[in-house]
Amino acid sequence: MGFGIRNFAVSAFLGVVWGWAAMTLNSFTYAFRYEAGFLHNIVIFTIGGAVFGIVVGGFIWLFGDLFPFKGRIPRAVAVSVFLWLLLFGGGLILSGIRPDRYHFAAYQAMQGFFLSIVLGIFFGIFLVFDRRS
Amino acid sequence: MERIFERDFILRALLPAIFVVFMALALVVIAYGFDTVANGVHDTFHDFRHVIGMPCH
Repeated sequence: MGFGIRNFAVSAFLGVVWGWAAMTLNSFTYAFRYEAGFLHNIVIFTIGGAVFGIVVGGFIWLFGDLFPFKGRIPRAVAVSVFLWLLLFGGGLILSGIRPDRYHFAAYQAMQGFFLSIVLGIFFGIFLVFDRRS
Repeated sequence: MERIFERDFILRALLPAIFVVFMALALVVIAYGFDTVANGVHDTFHDFRHVIGMPCH
């Protein structure tokens, strides 16, 4: 089973939608007060979301079967949350090494964890692999 | 036949896998803001990093 252009496009698109959703959510929660302007952030969240989306979609394709979940949504959520926890764990290690540069912020971490669940649900619903090939 | 299979494998599995790994590395650079890898990435993706909950300054 391959991961064709269509899956890349769907993953990137879902990631972009997720990036915009994250931006909107943060505007309500104020977990982080934006430092850059709207036009800058809409571009950055689009790019960041697309990258995150392609990685999550690719990881579901590559490692999805390793997770002990049958349904598409639980499996996608598991991959998405696992990836986020991996990145977050690395960030915590970095904050231990360089506390002047990397700070832990609980509200932002909770928001990020929630967003990783949302991203997994997006992928569980919309990313369907063609099992015939 | 083998040659066709090999080309098919490269196109359908190997190249996408390499691209996913490449994007994963890009994501790490974005998530931690490694300016040593991509100059300016820390400031450029600063708000994105905070919103998705990554530790930052």
